[in-house]
Amino acid sequence: MSHAVKDLAVAGLVVLAAAACTAPAPPRSVAAATSPSAAPTGAAALPAPTGPHPVGATTLYLKDTSRPDPWVPEVRARELMVTLWYPARAGEGSRAFYMTAKESELTLKGKKVTGVPYDALSRARTNALKDAKPAGRKGGLPLVVLSPGFTLPRSTLTALAEELASRGYVVAGVDHTYENYATTFPDGRVAECVACDSDTDPGFGTKVAGVRAADVSFVLDQLTGPDAKWEGSSLIDASEIAMAGQSIGGAGAVAAMLKDSRVRAGIDMDGTTYARIPKSGLSRPFLFMGSAGHRPAGRDNSWDRDWKLLTGWKRWLVLPGADHQSFTDVPLLADALGIAVPGDLSPARSMEITRTYVRAFLDRHLRHEPQSLLDEPSPRYPEVRFCTPGERCR
Amino acid sequence: MTAKSMTAGLVLFLAVACTATPPRTQPAATTAGGSSVCTEPQGNPQPETPTTIDVVEQAYFCILANYYGRATLDARALLIAGFAAFTRELNRGGRDLPEATMPALTGDRHADWAAFEAAYRRVTSRLPDDAGLQGKLAAATLQAIVAGLGDDHARWTHGVKRPPDFYDGDQYGLGLRASVGPQVRVDPGTALPPLFITGVLGGPAKDAGLRPGDVIESINGSAPFVDGEVTPAAVTALYPQYPEARAVRLHILRQETGRRRTVTLKPGLYQPDPATQQVVTTKLLRDGIAYVRLSGFAPDAADRVFRAISRLGASRTLTGLVLDLRGNGGGSPGEAIRLLSGFAHGKVTAYQCAADGACDPMRTDDSVALLGLPLVVLTDRGCASACEHFSSAVKDLRLGRLVGTRTAGGVSGPAQPYLLGDNTTLAFPSTHHLAPSREVIDRVGVAPDHYVPLTPQDAAAGRDPALDEALNLLHK
Repeated sequence: MSHAVKDLAVAGLVVLAAAACTAPAPPRSVAAATSPSAAPTGAAALPAPTGPHPVGATTLYLKDTSRPDPWVPEVRARELMVTLWYPARAGEGSRAFYMTAKESELTLKGKKVTGVPYDALSRARTNALKDAKPAGRKGGLPLVVLSPGFTLPRSTLTALAEELASRGYVVAGVDHTYENYATTFPDGRVAECVACDSDTDPGFGTKVAGVRAADVSFVLDQLTGPDAKWEGSSLIDASEIAMAGQSIGGAGAVAAMLKDSRVRAGIDMDGTTYARIPKSGLSRPFLFMGSAGHRPAGRDNSWDRDWKLLTGWKRWLVLPGADHQSFTDVPLLADALGIAVPGDLSPARSMEITRTYVRAFLDRHLRHEPQSLLDEPSPRYPEVRFCTPGERCR
Repeated sequence: MTAKSMTAGLVLFLAVACTATPPRTQPAATTAGGSSVCTEPQGNPQPETPTTIDVVEQAYFCILANYYGRATLDARALLIAGFAAFTRELNRGGRDLPEATMPALTGDRHADWAAFEAAYRRVTSRLPDDAGLQGKLAAATLQAIVAGLGDDHARWTHGVKRPPDFYDGDQYGLGLRASVGPQVRVDPGTALPPLFITGVLGGPAKDAGLRPGDVIESINGSAPFVDGEVTPAAVTALYPQYPEARAVRLHILRQETGRRRTVTLKPGLYQPDPATQQVVTTKLLRDGIAYVRLSGFAPDAADRVFRAISRLGASRTLTGLVLDLRGNGGGSPGEAIRLLSGFAHGKVTAYQCAADGACDPMRTDDSVALLGLPLVVLTDRGCASACEHFSSAVKDLRLGRLVGTRTAGGVSGPAQPYLLGDNTTLAFPSTHHLAPSREVIDRVGVAPDHYVPLTPQDAAAGRDPALDEALNLLHK
């Protein structure tokens, strides 16, 4: 199936930008159409995870026959590719690959990145051992679902995923098929970005968020319970599940929490939100973490709107120096390719902050350990502001 | 080109208007001195600030530097329109003053502006120093100067707000479409009685149980037509825009039962069926005829149509195409050209002409693959701007047949946006549009090859006589 790729599309954000002249314009995606800035260092090497556990990674092919594909209704099932990162037994093995050469090519072409070899992203060096034996006690590992930004594959959240796995979390990164430039199935078929065809339609972001919620529920079904599809599934603590996402993946986290009570806590990293929280509110813990475009009363009304309906533990963190992609691997990858990334934070620093705050949130809400980092601004991370609508960010 | 108020209120249209970048036929014009009075907006708009007389001045000189008729335009007419609106606004607020008198004008654009500004400031200096009041007066003045161009693609966008509880895909209003659209404001001559509902989208109209075909006999006590002439203010009340929130009272006649009733609809946010919001929708009709509805020439619209047709053709051989452009408020002329290029190569689809008569042709993109399908295009009064570019080219170049009713007649020329000092956007064309046979479509519209209007009875019964006619034509 061949679908022309689009220029940078930060999911529903594009829809927002299009919604009216006065609509909040999106924080923009980086990897697109930027000019070479510095000498490329070659292939990116993701920063080593900081936790005590070796990290394993494996991929799962999951097929949901209960629904047709929402983007290609002729396909009578929803097929998903999931990468699991997990604490592993120490051992030998090959490193997990970042993405295939074909996926790299389609992603770079989709983002209109030129001047680098098309297989460049496939050469990024990861820290996980491919298919390593999972380690842990039965029911002892909390589970975190990660959902990437629109047009981006699950691998763009690898640096965060490896960190969490090294700290004892099972992490499930989901490719929401046809919502990114390339997902490869085990039989070699490559699904391209069919959703890109309609990303300027009113209601597009709402649809994507809903699809992601359905995808996540299905993935949870497949990872937990008696018929679980992964050899390490028995290690998962099915009562301690959270979801985090970047951009529309973050919108998907809100949607998934509303749809599925198994998702106990959620994180939205710089994503305009779409799911309707009922007037009665959502009382499970939620973290907004955004760039300057997501300050309270900023161009995007969605966090202000949802904040009032979040009735449980909540935080609204803003990194004024961050870019929309600062919460992903994209700055790390772009740096290695010699592509300029907007924002004041170095790629290493933005990843350190993302890892630190996401982990603190998960330790607080899935492991129930106090985290003073989340209570007030920290001198160690002066880039991070604590915001409350109607007040100045601290 | 971007339709002006033809489809105002439709979110889609705003999207198209704000994101489409029409091909420029000339570089951004500058003043004689070389300095730009106004430039194209870049990046995200900053928050709006109150409009001032300095912003009005900027708009005035921006028009004189860049507008289609800039060389020959009588600038005095714009100033008179502006001053008239200024005095109306004063009077409306009970603040009329003896100094509010139009100064003498000479025909010298700069000297006349100076005289105008002096008179304006004489009056406003006697009013309270209230930014809201002063801003409102300046806004009324600016609005009238732009309206004074009499150009359906000249528009000043300001003060557009979104409800704070807005979700992506939401619409604001009464939740209905009627046989006379919001364009009645600028083009009342096209409205025909009776006024009836053609679509119930959701929200208050749905809750009140209204249905297509219901005849609207009065709006807030006013008849929509008096002696066959439309009452624009009455009909416009059907299309409130946020933050307008006054309830609207309708007398409704359901023809098949003869029952009359009164409903009161309170404007608000509602969630239309997402399927109705898609820019491109498709279905396979009988005998291999593809049906594609395109609601606007949004970015990528042409390729989306081509991909949709190719998907429909994957399962069976297609024999014809019905392209439904009813209610298509326009968008990017580039998309109209690209879509036309699927039906003809080596053709001129339109001309962009300067006021002195010099025209640049817009040509098909012959790298686009020809579809080779018999074509019928459905049109109505809601087909405006780029939609008329498309349908006039189909007709003039004999690429297919048009079925339905005459198009809007809102295609003066591609609007270019300019940023003003109060962070609002002024847009107007620097050239005017002619169809391939060099005829004017603006104000006139494109006449269908087969005139098939929709009656209230059709709407009530869910019939689509234009589509039926299209299928007949494709079967011949």
